[in-house]
Amino acid sequence: MVSKSEKYTEKKARRSLTEEKRHSIAGYLFISPFFILFAIFGLFPMLFSFYLAFFKWNGLGEMTYNGINNFTIIFNDPIFWKSIYNTVVIGLLGTVPQLIVAFLLAYALNSQVLRFKNTFRVAIFMPYVTSIVAVAILFSIIFNNQSFGLVNSFLGVFGVEPIVFTQSEWGAKIAIAAMIFWRWVGYNTIIFLAGMQSISNDLYEAAKIDGATLSQQLRYITLPMLKPFVLFTVFMGTIGSLQIFTEPLIFFNGNLRDEGITVVAYLYRDAFENNFFGTASATAIVLFAIIMVFSVLNLLITNRLGRGKARKA
Amino acid sequence: MKKVLKAGLVAGGVLAILAGCASDEADSGTSGSGGGSDTIDMWVFGTTGYEKLADAYMEENPDVKINVQTTEMGDHHNNLFTALSAGQGAPDIAMIEVGEIERYREAQDRFVNLYDLGAADVQDNYLDWVWNVGGSADGEFQFGLPTDIGPTAMYYRKDVVGEAGYPTEPEALAAEVDTWDKYATFAKDIVDKTGKPVVDNAELIFNAKRDQASEHYFNRDNELIVEDNPEIREAYDYTVDLIEAGAVGNMPLWTPEWGQGMAEGSYATLLGPAWMQGVVKGNAPDTDQWTITTLPEGAGNWGGSYLTISEESEMQEEAYAFIEWLVSPENQLESFKDMGLFPSTPSVYEEEEFANYTDDYFGGINTAAVFAEAAEQVNDVYKGRNYLLVQGEIMTALNNVLSSGGDPDQEWEDAMERIKQRLERE
Repeated sequence: MVSKSEKYTEKKARRSLTEEKRHSIAGYLFISPFFILFAIFGLFPMLFSFYLAFFKWNGLGEMTYNGINNFTIIFNDPIFWKSIYNTVVIGLLGTVPQLIVAFLLAYALNSQVLRFKNTFRVAIFMPYVTSIVAVAILFSIIFNNQSFGLVNSFLGVFGVEPIVFTQSEWGAKIAIAAMIFWRWVGYNTIIFLAGMQSISNDLYEAAKIDGATLSQQLRYITLPMLKPFVLFTVFMGTIGSLQIFTEPLIFFNGNLRDEGITVVAYLYRDAFENNFFGTASATAIVLFAIIMVFSVLNLLITNRLGRGKARKA
Repeated sequence: MKKVLKAGLVAGGVLAILAGCASDEADSGTSGSGGGSDTIDMWVFGTTGYEKLADAYMEENPDVKINVQTTEMGDHHNNLFTALSAGQGAPDIAMIEVGEIERYREAQDRFVNLYDLGAADVQDNYLDWVWNVGGSADGEFQFGLPTDIGPTAMYYRKDVVGEAGYPTEPEALAAEVDTWDKYATFAKDIVDKTGKPVVDNAELIFNAKRDQASEHYFNRDNELIVEDNPEIREAYDYTVDLIEAGAVGNMPLWTPEWGQGMAEGSYATLLGPAWMQGVVKGNAPDTDQWTITTLPEGAGNWGGSYLTISEESEMQEEAYAFIEWLVSPENQLESFKDMGLFPSTPSVYEEEEFANYTDDYFGGINTAAVFAEAAEQVNDVYKGRNYLLVQGEIMTALNNVLSSGGDPDQEWEDAMERIKQRLERE
């Protein structure tokens, strides 16, 4: 009889195992559409561009092996370095003031005295849902080269000569940074606002009882408690600004000039205007490396700050 | 049991999706996108009116089915490029714009040589230069049959020209300004007497001079010759001289100020192609000051397209019969009357309806005759597949001279450097 019960449990065990297996198969099947589509449209192109970076290819003819020549070519191109410089400068111009303004806006939205809060929240978030192309076209009109452009006529009031924005070293960058500022400031405001609302009111009450002023509250309660939110927005802002593309493309009306060409615009020009897919892929890989470096730096800083906080607690 | 059933359903669903993809691929592989295997698929862009002509053709030939699909120009060429690059999914007939055709030269094996289908018989119907642009550098391979063209002429404002003391009648003005030297004097007179520039921007004046050169940026062996080509350097210097005389405006093509300038008469002349007539009418509907005359010393071409047949098509002969009919002189006259497509077949220029054509907007003159004269003067030039790259860098140089006060010689050197740097990637 022993053997029978053994057999029974064994059978049961095997059955439950297959049951488990079936469950996991079902699970994998449920998530498979994403992975299948990702493999085709995400993973394969990524891997292929690593491969392509070592070849010369115009999209139609034969692919010929080119070793590291593609990298040599772009590293010897002053415009490539210019594009990296532009990307960083535009990124800083578009992101740093933006985060500061977003923080102040969030603080204002979070204050007790403000009325029509929801209206303001929606209004501030609105730019985020507009299309980048529409924003870029609108800002191209605002930053028009002619004296009747909005910015130029404003400057004209102070007797400043009209600026040819598309051909000016700083004019082009400021115009593109302004688009980024306008479109993303609302998004970051909402993130900061969510963060501020997660801070318990008790802390502020306690501080008030201790006689803390408004600026002291801001400095010793709001800012430290917001740290994870600030890190998130800085992280996203860094990655986003390294990939700026649509704004310069529309702003220059397709004629990407040195004054405002970004890394992605540079590789786009190689790939889709001239069909030099090899150097475009090489540029993409360099950009990938740069983003990795920035991300790792961000991660290290985040970890360190996180640890510091844990020790304090 | 229920869960097993669910898993089965999901698995079935996923398989169905994958199967769907697979069968789509198989389908598009044989016959292009959409339509059955007995349908000729045709991709066009812009407003051609070819749907109507295709309907007429199908009525005459009930056994032929044609599916005309119109897409925006940029998307159209990108889709075609992707399909040709992948080696499947291209339509039987594809329209390719004259500027775009250069980059498809590499993919000769993906097109049908129209000489194999009898194109030599109709070659004489077309202007030589138009025909040659649609063929390989050695002339052995014909990619496409020409559709319309865009010969260039001089659009001008009668009021501005008159204010500068020049005749406002087209023939009289053309006689007075019949060389580029005289055009330069004319430009200086316009600036002195009216304070307005003679042209809207540096691009069209440079192009007008460039188009009269016998060779441009590459020779027929696809070698870069721009640096040592005196004709191109002359076009550059000529444009620089006008810039330094204050005769070149800073209103880039297609910007709001460019259109506005057209309506207000902010510049005297616009050196544009035949299809620019619609643009001028659209931007300046309320003025009767624009009219057209011939350019000094010749003409150029900007625009036009070719109808090509893909190698993967299974209906090459049927497709060829249709396009030969579609761009025949008779039907080009129809397209001209219907959509204003300027014919690439010179026999049409003699037709009564063409010779008696007048346009009230442009002062009641026969604009078609002006462009017909221009069409027959266009130089037969080989452009090469990196033409637009070189053009773009030269334009950057000219714009730097125009707006940022760059030194012309230095800008030219820099542009040549950039061109060579970028061509290394090829």
